[in-house]
Amino acid sequence: MSDMEEDTLPLGQSSDPLQFDDDEEEVEQRHGSDKKKGKQPRRRDEEDEDEEDDEEEDDEDEEDDEDEGTSRGRKRQKRRHKRSAVNRFLDVEAEVNEDEEEEEEDEEYGRDEFIAEPGGEGEDEETSRRTVHHARLDRRERELNDQDLARIAQDVSQRYKRTAVRYTGDMNEMPQRLLMPSVNDANLWQVRCKPGRERDIVFSLMRKAIDLEYSNHPLSILSAFQRDSLAGMIYVEARSQKQVAEACNGLVGVYPGRGINLVPIEEMASLLLIKKQDLTVTPGSWVRIKRGKYQGDLAQVMDITENGEEVGLKFIPRIDLNPKDEVAPDGKKRKKTGLVASMGARPPQRFFNHEEVVKVYGRKTVTKRAQSYVFQNDTYKDGFIEKDYKVNALVLENVNPTLDEITRFSKGQDGADSEMNVDLSIIAEASRKAAIAVLQPGDHVEVFEGEQSGVHGVVDSISQDIVTVTPVGVDLEGQKVQVPARSVRKRFKAGDHVKVMAGKNADETGLVVAVAGNVVTFLSDMSMQEVSVFSKDLREAAEVGAGTNTVGNYELHDLVQLDHQTVGVIFKTERDSFRVLDQNGQTRLVQPHQISMRRDSNRAIATDAEGHELRVGDNVKENDGEGRKGRVLHVQGSFFAFLHNREIAENGGVFVTRARSLVSLAPKGSLLKPGSDLSKMNPALSGGAMPGGMAGSGGMGRGPRDRLIGVAVSVIKGPHKGYFGTIKDTNGPIARVELQTGNKVITIDKEKLHRRNPDGSHEPLEARGMGPPRNGGYGGGGQMRPPPVPSSWGSSGGSTNNPYADNSGKTPSWNSSRTPNPYADGGRTPSWNSRQTPAWDAASRTPNPYANTGGFGGATPAPNSSWGGATPKTGGWGGATPRATGWGGATPKPPAASTSWGGATPGRSNDWGASSPQSWESSADWVGFLFDLFTLSGSYLELHRHQHRRHSARLRQDSVHLHRCLHPPPRLDTAQPPRGHLLGCPWALTCSLRHPRPSLQCSTTRTASPVRALSI
Amino acid sequence: MASAAIPPQARARQLRACLLCSIIQTPVDFRRNGCPNCEELMQMKGSPDRIQVCTTTYFDGITAVIDPEHSWVARWQRTSKYVRGMYAVRVKGRIPEDVEAELESRGIKYRPRDQTDQD
Repeated sequence: MSDMEEDTLPLGQSSDPLQFDDDEEEVEQRHGSDKKKGKQPRRRDEEDEDEEDDEEEDDEDEEDDEDEGTSRGRKRQKRRHKRSAVNRFLDVEAEVNEDEEEEEEDEEYGRDEFIAEPGGEGEDEETSRRTVHHARLDRRERELNDQDLARIAQDVSQRYKRTAVRYTGDMNEMPQRLLMPSVNDANLWQVRCKPGRERDIVFSLMRKAIDLEYSNHPLSILSAFQRDSLAGMIYVEARSQKQVAEACNGLVGVYPGRGINLVPIEEMASLLLIKKQDLTVTPGSWVRIKRGKYQGDLAQVMDITENGEEVGLKFIPRIDLNPKDEVAPDGKKRKKTGLVASMGARPPQRFFNHEEVVKVYGRKTVTKRAQSYVFQNDTYKDGFIEKDYKVNALVLENVNPTLDEITRFSKGQDGADSEMNVDLSIIAEASRKAAIAVLQPGDHVEVFEGEQSGVHGVVDSISQDIVTVTPVGVDLEGQKVQVPARSVRKRFKAGDHVKVMAGKNADETGLVVAVAGNVVTFLSDMSMQEVSVFSKDLREAAEVGAGTNTVGNYELHDLVQLDHQTVGVIFKTERDSFRVLDQNGQTRLVQPHQISMRRDSNRAIATDAEGHELRVGDNVKENDGEGRKGRVLHVQGSFFAFLHNREIAENGGVFVTRARSLVSLAPKGSLLKPGSDLSKMNPALSGGAMPGGMAGSGGMGRGPRDRLIGVAVSVIKGPHKGYFGTIKDTNGPIARVELQTGNKVITIDKEKLHRRNPDGSHEPLEARGMGPPRNGGYGGGGQMRPPPVPSSWGSSGGSTNNPYADNSGKTPSWNSSRTPNPYADGGRTPSWNSRQTPAWDAASRTPNPYANTGGFGGATPAPNSSWGGATPKTGGWGGATPRATGWGGATPKPPAASTSWGGATPGRSNDWGASSPQSWESSADWVGFLFDLFTLSGSYLELHRHQHRRHSARLRQDSVHLHRCLHPPPRLDTAQPPRGHLLGCPWALTCSLRHPRPSLQCSTTRTASPVRALSI
Repeated sequence: MASAAIPPQARARQLRACLLCSIIQTPVDFRRNGCPNCEELMQMKGSPDRIQVCTTTYFDGITAVIDPEHSWVARWQRTSKYVRGMYAVRVKGRIPEDVEAELESRGIKYRPRDQTDQD
């Protein structure tokens, strides 16, 4: 090899005139320098030089180069001189041999020498030069003859390549796929290393390879690389695992012990093809700033430098308009501001306002240049700051600008060019990728860009980024179109019912009212407000805000305790909070944890303006103020009532008012009209049980409890047969009876009980369907059972004959006679009796049911007067009650019953009657403590109330069912009354019927078990 | 075997990769020696401005090419005819237009190093 170089020297020389000239110059420069240097010193020089090279720092200057050149020239000369002298006497081969050992070490050096030689020779002294020439010429001629020309050419090319490094790009034409690794290539080995040290390790491997190249154990790895996206591992190219282990041995941070894994051939290329998410920035796109005062702020890209390293941004500045110390000396001030910035107490985003800034910082600090201002080395234009940032100081991915930020941006300083015109397209662009994930087969989409722009249709399938769309309504109909997912967006039209899937408004539902590009505006079902969202976040949905009605344990329209004094009703549920209207009419936003408990006002009652009780579920109307109508949602402290009316937009239709200013819309009064049974209510008829009983007491009643409670019974079966007692509690078919003997409470089947009348007679417990009211309040005294007065029946019968007249005559007395305490249940108590009596018992059984009902329903005011205490003859009224047997059992004239219902009866007899009188009257599983009130208000049937908490869920379900069945509300006089099924619901039901014709009004309570069907 | 200047510090922020041959050197080395592979075209030697436009700090992945002739990695990266040294796996950016024009005039296909066109 070396001799070849030597031999072909002249050719090389001619082929590279440039190099030659360079060296000649050098040589000329150094001509006068000393030529007497041994080989050893020269070599040391060379080494020093290498070291220098390695250690050179950035700021080292040209002098180094100068020195280098000097020493090199010196060396060359030295050598040249020596050789030329020797050449005269020695064979050339000898000289080459001498050089051989260093040849390998420094090819470049050798090359330089050869090239330089002729130049140097020209300057050399005549004689020696001539001799050298001669010798060389001879040799060359000789060898030229010997050598193959082709071989020379090859050598030339090789030499040429090494020296001139002409860029040929000779591999560029080859397609990448042909470069795929083959089995002959060395393998890639994955080596674990300390995360973060990958680069250092790759560099260390390189240095190690160079260091050991000429040692006894050179590294035999071919390459090593690292990828930024593959943390904690490097890849080494080598023929065997052992070589990798050797290479990694001794390096810090490499863990070959954790496995040197072979990378399968087919995966080798992909390791090098890993692409970071393409972090391309384009003008107009959104980025966030990573660090500094503007950390996290949204910015818009304006321009990008050619090499893509820096981008010009525009964003909303944060100028401190209250600088801490303006008077402090410059340096101190700067320090301080820097500190503040780093502390995070940064000034708010604010558009640059020249006047403000000048006011604070002084006129000199701001200079105006063309359209923009320069302040503290930053440029401000149109209120925005314009600044260059390095790409790696920016967040380019997952920028997710919010609509607020964008609008802020697009409004600009003066809020002039609002209307969100330009920027929404960009934000949409930014979130487009997410949009792909949002599409589902079946979605209506439209293509908004590309060839198919304008086409809309239904998504057929999605594979990766390609969406197959079946177009609708265009000539493409029938075909399927494939479009990139990014080019389609969901399509909505006004009138669609949509649900928001993501974002701030998630779970809102509403009706689309406007579509502008990809912004859809809809009217929220809950708040009745217009909401604008991106179409990508929407989905068509039939449900109505269902998801939003419950947050945590609370749901819409719950009465909740906020603090000791305050309760409120939830009128709107948001994602994780509520809007609550409190008793003072204030609305507030409440988190679930701020609610101490939910209140149950199901049993709460208040008194309305007319002195009637007011309960949850009643339909009422304000008698003052705005006269709002509504349904009572909750009653709070007998004083406040929360009402709901869906026609009122404010606060979701919920409002609070004083209970005393409400009037019932439903025929509440009817409850108080015993009508024809006035006589029964006459205390005088009751055997003088309680003269002053009508005073009534509030203790009377928290709602209609089981009327059996308090009834005196005797046990007719079982081990306790013959015992007397009082029913203390009931639960389904079971009663708890306190025995008179032994003061013992037993639990017993109601079937085994008989009612024990005060006269000692017995009758079946359920004979009248209802027990007497729990009349603690009624008499205020302890006696529960009005004494049976057989005669009273007769009297009541008498009064029934003309109840109407009777009642009307007494009407005026109603108010005056009312007890001062409107709360008093004095009024209520009889209503139980009266109600049940005419409605289904009396109605069907009294000889003159028509009169009966009519009187009872229409003659509202009348009865009160009669029992209100004004009449001394009260004895009769209580006495009527126990006489249930009398009328309860007597059902001789069903036809009469039908008429009594005033047209509604046919249905009634069919269905109510489906559980025949016997079945419920004697029914063992009579459940008295629940009942549902049906109000036939204005001939509309509505499930009014149910009151059994334990079964409430089930009942509610049933009532919904019932609602549905009865919708549209039936008219009373339809021939085929619609039916509502309340299956397996063994509760008592109370209906009150209000018909346009007062004479047809009535109310009824039914206890039937099971109530198989209901109809009106 | 010819070898490029190996940057002394892997962490150095200043490391720059040649846009044409993807070799990684410090700016100082580029200024002093130019690009060991494509200096002829790039002419960065002694010209910081040229270095700015012909090299970039924006690259991903570093390869230590120890034996370019035999390494598959070097072949795949099309650096097997280049000097030994540190090379970037992926370099973002394109060479200046004048260089691109020169390549074209020589009939050399320019392959950007950002892996945008793979065939």
